[in-house]
Amino acid sequence: MIYINFNSLRFFLIVYLLSGFVVTAFAAPQGLLETIHHHITLDSTVPDNGDLNPYAIVVAPVSSGNIQKDDVLVDNFNDISNLQGTGTTIVDYRPSTKHTTLFANIPKKLDQCPGGVGLSTAMTMLKSGWVIVGSTPSTDGTTTTKGDGCLIVLDSTGKMVDAWSGPTINDPWGDMATIDNGSTAALFISMAGFGVPGPKVIDPKTGYPPIIHKATVLSLDLSIPDGKPPVLLSQTIIGNGFSQRADNDNFLFGPTGLVLSQDGTLYVTDGIDNVITAIPNAATRTDSAGTGQVVTHDGQLAWPLAMVMTPAGHLLVANGKNGKVVEVDPISGKQIYAQWVDPDQAQTPPGNGDLFGIAMTPDGKGFYYVQDDTNTLMEAI
Amino acid sequence: MGCPFNVPQDPGKRKFFGTLGLIAAAVPLATIAPWAKILGEDTDIAPMTEGNSNIEPFVSAHQNGIARSMQTNTSFATFDLTTTRREDVVKLLRVWTDAAQRLTNGQQVQSIDQATSSDDYGDSGKSSKSNESSDSDDTLGLSPSRLTITFGFGPGLFLKDGIDRYGLAHQRPEALIDMPRFIGDKIVAGFDGGDLSVQACADDPQVTFHVIRELSRLAYGIAELRWAQNGFVPKFGPMETPRNLMGFKDGTINPSIKDPEAMAKFIWVGDEGPAWMSGGSYMVVRKIRMALEHWDRMKLSFQEQTVGRYKLSGAPLSGKNEKDPLDLDAKDADGNPLIPENSHVALGAPANNDGAQILRRGYSYDNNLSFTAERWPPWHQGMEFDAGLLFMCYQRDPRTGFVKIYERMSKFDMMNQFVTHIGSGLFACPPGVKQGEFIGQRLFS
Repeated sequence: MIYINFNSLRFFLIVYLLSGFVVTAFAAPQGLLETIHHHITLDSTVPDNGDLNPYAIVVAPVSSGNIQKDDVLVDNFNDISNLQGTGTTIVDYRPSTKHTTLFANIPKKLDQCPGGVGLSTAMTMLKSGWVIVGSTPSTDGTTTTKGDGCLIVLDSTGKMVDAWSGPTINDPWGDMATIDNGSTAALFISMAGFGVPGPKVIDPKTGYPPIIHKATVLSLDLSIPDGKPPVLLSQTIIGNGFSQRADNDNFLFGPTGLVLSQDGTLYVTDGIDNVITAIPNAATRTDSAGTGQVVTHDGQLAWPLAMVMTPAGHLLVANGKNGKVVEVDPISGKQIYAQWVDPDQAQTPPGNGDLFGIAMTPDGKGFYYVQDDTNTLMEAI
Repeated sequence: MGCPFNVPQDPGKRKFFGTLGLIAAAVPLATIAPWAKILGEDTDIAPMTEGNSNIEPFVSAHQNGIARSMQTNTSFATFDLTTTRREDVVKLLRVWTDAAQRLTNGQQVQSIDQATSSDDYGDSGKSSKSNESSDSDDTLGLSPSRLTITFGFGPGLFLKDGIDRYGLAHQRPEALIDMPRFIGDKIVAGFDGGDLSVQACADDPQVTFHVIRELSRLAYGIAELRWAQNGFVPKFGPMETPRNLMGFKDGTINPSIKDPEAMAKFIWVGDEGPAWMSGGSYMVVRKIRMALEHWDRMKLSFQEQTVGRYKLSGAPLSGKNEKDPLDLDAKDADGNPLIPENSHVALGAPANNDGAQILRRGYSYDNNLSFTAERWPPWHQGMEFDAGLLFMCYQRDPRTGFVKIYERMSKFDMMNQFVTHIGSGLFACPPGVKQGEFIGQRLFS
């Protein structure tokens, strides 16, 4: 266990204090971030096969098979070659032992998974023990060779039992928000691959690859027969028109963070437009809300990626463009403050490209996050 | 430019030629063929260290390139044995031993006047050698420059592809493990392992390269080069720690080579076996490419936190002087460690590794430019300096030395964002030789 304690981290925190982002020490906390004082390296996320670039984080809701309740599952987007869209592994960090083991290593090629396997930020574990993970595959590390991918169903021993693909599934990319009733469940996943070309296709007006507005948020209704794998019953596109763009360094940008609030609102981060939007009545709607209603944009947001909700109902958003996590009150739309959780100055700005997945700790007092610069699982407490 | 054969000789070299003259007068020239010479028939080469600080004697209890203050240059190479015959391996080691004795004494593998004479006598019984020059002679007139030559045996000497080629498998030390793959390793194909290793160190790059060149020539038909790398460190005072290409002093926490107890405890193999390794040591080699362009854009303070030391003084961030002990418990006013726990020195510190210590003898390398894709955000790709550190260390047991230390470093060291391990090897370096012995003789006896 290693405590990250760079002076630079403290420096940035002080900047925020001076900037008025944090209230005085005597007032009740406005949110979670001001209560976070330690960043602990829990373990490496690199399994024996050398997979790199940790993306999704899921905290196990139950004990089942090889997984214990509160284990932290992390998948890898890259294989040992460090090419994006080629990682096939999920590791299991067990807080009680502080050890990490390999949970699953999925074959690189699956008949049911167009383009192969490259595990993305879309991952969940159901109460019934099934693990569902998205694949956004590539063979050369760029979207030039990307496939449509699939959703892969694993049992709680890490064995693949099914994979879903089809015209509505195109590079399941972002967080997987879940309503889990045990025998039924609803999954909310962003699809970011529709019509995305390779990164060398450049829009002459911007000098970057063209921005495509075809990304969707897909709702999938599942039935989970007792002791049997989930069955995909129906699908509904509840959001569409989100921005997506190929990127030579970051593979692609697209809607990434998905969080479902207790009132049924689905919040979505859109990195290209630097915005968080809300799709109301996500659990019950039968049509698309487009890109939803804007909750907040710009400010401290800088390529917002994965997102999670605190017990108080605030959004914690991992920035891709720097190492900050931003706390947002989604009701007021106010960005409360940000903390530079990854101040690694090896990137410019510090932490650029390091963050991705984020998940609350079981007690709700801290959060887990990954650092792609060091391939480690971190805990903020 | 003067005649290369006319340059002044150092006292040792002059003495050698004098000795050779006496031998030549007593022995028929036809019998002094290159191979006969090298195979040790002329084994009465007198050590010529007296009064010559440029000579490090090859004959010694331990191999002479380990517990030695670092020279400024190294040439390292590994070889694959191509022969299937045990006696060929023995012959090669005899030849190399004799050559190493001569080279470290400032002599050629065979003197140029001797070679000329034997050439005159035609076929010496070693037809493949009879038309060869006996030495490249590119170091004629050069000082040996404190040349040391250290030999090592890789796992392939004992067992290769499941085959015990030389009847040595049962003699393989348990400590001579197959090196594990560490997190972040990007070992380039062909730049790992080797059945035999040779490290030449001297204060002159031509002297060290000459060694590899000559030993490679002498191995013809028995072994062939697998991978090689030259290295250098800046000239520095005898009590100073050299700086690596990152600008930091490298090797400060080495155990003292003047401390016999520490060397016996951490560096020299004891009676744990096998017997042929007693007095030897295990050498780990790692070719480590540095992302110098990336490193050079970092702030000094960040570099120092990554390393855990001040750049100028080499002092730990908890102290003022280079040799100050690492105080890993020292805290700043906010209660945070002065030496970050994921800094390079903290992760490598004996206190964090159950007291493990290794003797670092690393050299910088510079292979100009090559295309690379950095493996950290922002994943820069392009032509970059192909330079870094030829890390070399010696220890009593790599399982409690390098492997133990680097296992955690490979996961957590902040420096990993600037370095990539692209070459690797582990070699059992047998003890030194007595006069008349060949290197590793006890393994074959």
